[in-house]
Amino acid sequence: MALVDQKKIIENEPIYDSAFKVRLTRNLEILSNVLANPTTVIGLIIVILMISMALFAPIITEPNTPDPYQMPRDWKAARSAPFTPGHILGTTNRGGDVFYGVVWGARTSLKLSLLVVSLTLVVGVIIGSIAGIAGGKIDEVLMRIVDVFLSIPELIFALAIAAILGPSFTNIILALVVVFWVKYARIMRAQVIRIKQREYVDAAKIMGASNLQIYLKDILPNSFSPVMVQATLDMGNIVLVGATLSFIGLSEAGIAEWGVLVSEGQAGISAGRWWASTFPGLMVFLWALAFNLVGDGLRDVFDPRTETKR
Amino acid sequence: MQIKDYIIRRLMILPFLILGTSIIVFALTRIGGSPIGIYLSHEMNPAEVQEMKERFHLDKPVPIQYFYWIKGVFQGDLGWSGVASAPVVDVFPKKFAATMELAIAAGIVAVSLGIAMGTFAGARRNKLSDHIIRVVSVSGASMPLFWFSILLLIVFWVWLGWFPIGRSDPNLFEAIAHPTGFYTIDAVIAGNFAAFKDAIWHLVMPAVALGYGATAIIARMMRSSLIEELQEDYVDAAKAKGLAENVVLKKHARRNALVPTVTVIGLTFGFLLQGTVVAEIIFRWPGLGRWMAAAVLRGDQATIMTYVMFTSILFLIVNLVVDVIYANLDRRVELGD
Amino acid sequence: MDQDGTSNSNSFSNRLIASVEDLKVYFHSKKGLLHSVDGVSFDIVDGEIMGLVGETGCGKSVTARSFMQLVQTPPGVIAGGKIRFKSKKTGNQIVDLLSLTENQIRELRGERIAMIFQDPGKALNPGLTIRAQIAEVFQEHRENDVFEKAKLSHVLKGFIGVVLKKYMRQETNLFIRLLLFFPPIRSYKKKLDKAIDKLVTEALAETQIPNPEKVMERYPHELSGGMKQRVMIAQAIACNPDLLIADEPTTALDVIVQARILDLIKELQKRHKTSVLYISHDLSLVRKICDRVAVMFAGKIVETGNSDDIFKNPKHPYTKGLIRASFMTHERGKLEEIDGINAT
Repeated sequence: MALVDQKKIIENEPIYDSAFKVRLTRNLEILSNVLANPTTVIGLIIVILMISMALFAPIITEPNTPDPYQMPRDWKAARSAPFTPGHILGTTNRGGDVFYGVVWGARTSLKLSLLVVSLTLVVGVIIGSIAGIAGGKIDEVLMRIVDVFLSIPELIFALAIAAILGPSFTNIILALVVVFWVKYARIMRAQVIRIKQREYVDAAKIMGASNLQIYLKDILPNSFSPVMVQATLDMGNIVLVGATLSFIGLSEAGIAEWGVLVSEGQAGISAGRWWASTFPGLMVFLWALAFNLVGDGLRDVFDPRTETKR
Repeated sequence: MQIKDYIIRRLMILPFLILGTSIIVFALTRIGGSPIGIYLSHEMNPAEVQEMKERFHLDKPVPIQYFYWIKGVFQGDLGWSGVASAPVVDVFPKKFAATMELAIAAGIVAVSLGIAMGTFAGARRNKLSDHIIRVVSVSGASMPLFWFSILLLIVFWVWLGWFPIGRSDPNLFEAIAHPTGFYTIDAVIAGNFAAFKDAIWHLVMPAVALGYGATAIIARMMRSSLIEELQEDYVDAAKAKGLAENVVLKKHARRNALVPTVTVIGLTFGFLLQGTVVAEIIFRWPGLGRWMAAAVLRGDQATIMTYVMFTSILFLIVNLVVDVIYANLDRRVELGD
Repeated sequence: MDQDGTSNSNSFSNRLIASVEDLKVYFHSKKGLLHSVDGVSFDIVDGEIMGLVGETGCGKSVTARSFMQLVQTPPGVIAGGKIRFKSKKTGNQIVDLLSLTENQIRELRGERIAMIFQDPGKALNPGLTIRAQIAEVFQEHRENDVFEKAKLSHVLKGFIGVVLKKYMRQETNLFIRLLLFFPPIRSYKKKLDKAIDKLVTEALAETQIPNPEKVMERYPHELSGGMKQRVMIAQAIACNPDLLIADEPTTALDVIVQARILDLIKELQKRHKTSVLYISHDLSLVRKICDRVAVMFAGKIVETGNSDDIFKNPKHPYTKGLIRASFMTHERGKLEEIDGINAT
């Protein structure tokens, strides 16, 4: 009986399914390795807290009407210190509740980072794959374009683009997409070229798989880990750069965003009102730190060469 | 020999990269619309507006405008800065000196502190001091510069009153001549100790704030590469010669660990450069970064264009220099064997 | 230490230079405590070449490193045992190498006990010239000789002497470097450098390196593998040590170079009457140059004896296997040698 079953599997099921199973068990192993590192776990806990804060923002604080992403203004209670009833983290010069900004800022940041990461990831992976698979002149041209994009410091590039498009949160998203896709293209291209040379791709070719099939079933899944590591790191970095752009003044004033809030709180600093800048800035820091810790943890597990570097 | 070829190749690519960057940035600035607004005032009638357009070639298609821009660059004309109400070329040198002074000071902080911290931590792997330095360096890469600067401001300016903001005490600044534009160097040239002290005093907070992130990156790299070097056979061989622990660490391991660290130092330069925008806003430092921030908010295209081109050219050159240093330092790069 | 030596003098015969007694070295690993060296005992007779044979990972390198306290702790643990060593320079005093302090062992390292490493490409610092690396040995252990050679013994006392001594021990800071840059100390420094140059040249010439003056200015990556190993040997015998530990010194080299390096070690051993602990996985090599052999397996010594006896009449089944295996490599080596001769 058992023998017959085996035969059936070999004949009827495509070879990729068993590869999928191997991958699944390997991923479970990777997961347990990731969780073995205490700093990664700390990062993961902060990430989970931040994301739940973003998701449950309407429950934690009463949403502002009509637009919950706008800071509510309580002009009568402006400039109150932390632990004032109703304003646990104090208010800004313009009566914005810092606690509201902190909570809804998480939602804004989640929106920003998810949008930018998914867009850049798709664009970068497509361009990188084209360069890697096509090779030759197409590759050369695409990579020179990538070089040009890499030759302008990230923040300054984003700053210039956001400035040209005009100050708004949507334009910050656009600017970050233009700047951040490059890394994925590079990673993806390197992976494609590396994996293209492996024996199992040759084996698949011999077995008559088409190029697209090979790409979808062999190359793409195997490039997954370095792209994921970069995406995790970017989830943090994008909020960091985005908040910096907002701080400089490139989003609409008055939205519930950490960088905007820090900038708004700056006005009260010389008078000793430290809270309005400190708390939202701390959130940006924790957000970036958490994703960096998790990203580093992932990288250590995926790329054993860096294990000694810790 | 390979190094030479490599450098020549990189040098040949450099102008194309700069050209590519300028095309992309120019195209982007024009997507945002015509910069004509900068040149206009409310009293102008349509005929005068048209005249202005013709004067600055803004009635022509974008590629032609780009051509005129390039032509202007070679004639030493970078356009009119609306923010500064002066030609960009006139404002640039002073602000450049201010920004470079800040960036170099931050770089000195970052390199010396980063290497010292990384060596200290790497040599005491998994001890308490190592853990502390690791936390500092991990947090450094995630630290929003605008927040860290504000924290410094709150503690050392508002609460303790130890350090001032701005670049100088105006009276002292006016008292000396400024041949280089670098306040510290000018003070030394003038032999004015009070001005020198003033310059350093004003530099401390912005340089530390700006340098912190780079310090963290350098310390982290130094630590990991030192740990890697300490596991090499030649370290044991050096110990087997009877050398003191300290000599083995400093003369053998640290020297080699510095090689990969140099590349990271080059990368952090870009980090410092872009950080000046934020640091200059918060510490009211009259440099390029603050100018750029103002230009960004007011759509001053000539300034934006100049600033972006300038930083990316500087960034490219620094990276090239770093690569050359790296290739020369790394003895393990085999030159045909 | 003296008491230690006398109380055990009956077991430590006069003929010996070193004696390992029940050495135990363990390592902490993810899978628990690893018994890397588990109760190893053997003697090294003064003036002989002692072989230590076993397959990779059997604990022979760890044993060798224990002589110099070069086992990293942690993860390593010296769990027990003694390595007694007779230092001929200090009046045949017998010391336990494992219980010496850092400073005491440092005086012996490179001076009384020296080591040649497996891969000369890795054991030489890639960032320093050959001169700098060999010079360190003289600077550390032959300070007085160098001063005498430079005819500078008279300045040893006083401030200049302090500065120059710091230079020799490489304990320079910015201030000292500044002093060294200016006369008159600058000229003294140059004299010292010249004296060191001479010693380095002599050491290199000892290992039959052609053009030692030129080779010494090179970096390791500019030399061939055989040359590098000669440099390692020059560095090791620079101070004419009592015990030379050779940890698979020919494994990383190709066959012809192997033979030459072996000849060199043997010749130097005869000339200087140094004792050698020769570590190898290749029994046929060991038979060629060793007087006696200890066979090691899984952290334990399974057989000790004269190398010819062991080779002809192995008692332990593991030794038999090892001999069979080495026969095959030996034959192959022979073929290649013949090929090489025919070609030239």
